[in-house]
Amino acid sequence: MMSVENLDYRVEHLRDRLAREDIAELGVRVEARGAWVMVWGTLADAGSRAAVLRIVADELEGVPWHEDLTVHRVGPPGAAEVLS
Amino acid sequence: MIRVAAVGDIHLGPGSAGVLRPAFDTLGDCADLLLLAGDLTRHGTREEARVVAEEVAGLPVPVVAVLGNHDYQSDQPDLVARELAAEGVHVLEGDGVTFDVRGVTVGIAGTKGFGGGFAGRSATEFGEPEMKAFIRYSRACADGLGRSLRELRTRGCGLRVALTHFSPVPDTLAGEPPEIYPFLGSYLLAEAIDEAGADLAVHGHAHLGTEHGMTGGGVRVRNVAMPVIDRAFAVYHLSPPTD
Repeated sequence: MMSVENLDYRVEHLRDRLAREDIAELGVRVEARGAWVMVWGTLADAGSRAAVLRIVADELEGVPWHEDLTVHRVGPPGAAEVLS
Repeated sequence: MIRVAAVGDIHLGPGSAGVLRPAFDTLGDCADLLLLAGDLTRHGTREEARVVAEEVAGLPVPVVAVLGNHDYQSDQPDLVARELAAEGVHVLEGDGVTFDVRGVTVGIAGTKGFGGGFAGRSATEFGEPEMKAFIRYSRACADGLGRSLRELRTRGCGLRVALTHFSPVPDTLAGEPPEIYPFLGSYLLAEAIDEAGADLAVHGHAHLGTEHGMTGGGVRVRNVAMPVIDRAFAVYHLSPPTD
């Protein structure tokens, strides 16, 4: 019987693995869009981004995917927000 | 005017020690206190908690924290809290703390909070024991927050801030998939805040959300998850209301 590729399951397996592995990353969004998978979000540092990309490439092997993963800044704010 | 610095979801560990310290060292110039809105570690280990504690040790402003779900991952949240407290961090869960800032008593009430969802689309305390336990826990967190805010009012606080990890409102979740909102916050937190009153509510947890929101009762809400504010902390200037 021919196996059926279901992107939804691949997406969830990737999300599970991102949470389960040492990176423990639950803040990345992963969605199937047509025949592609999109991965996006903001990570703490370049090392975390590289770790996520490695897991995505491994888990989505054979599936075309795009990523828009950025790294947030760690400097102090330029200005305060005046609330009252 | 009181200057409140806040950040959540810093997710520190041995590999990121010292990353935020240069920015935190500027707090004495721009803030009167620092609030940490949970998810301070990745896995809630003692080693990670130690890194967080050292990151804020000896800062020139008081540091107040609640824990987040990541800080519970190793099933030892009390150990995480003790490591932070050892460096002077006030770790809140259903209680509050006050500070005198230039003659104004500023009160912070805190809880991690929990999920369940928002009005019209929330889970109910019905059915399986696991489902009832889920909502009872969320309600207990919210009750603790409300009780703490009322105690702070009784103690004569000129300003009160509600500090949580989970969100009290859906506004600051915009950008997250709506289907997971029930795992990101609960209207019970907003109800507690509105009933007890607060001048600001600060939370984290929603990395893909947005910074600005408001409860139905008009209390400003800020999502200070680090991926959202895109800096080491945000600063909010608050003035005590005039009667």
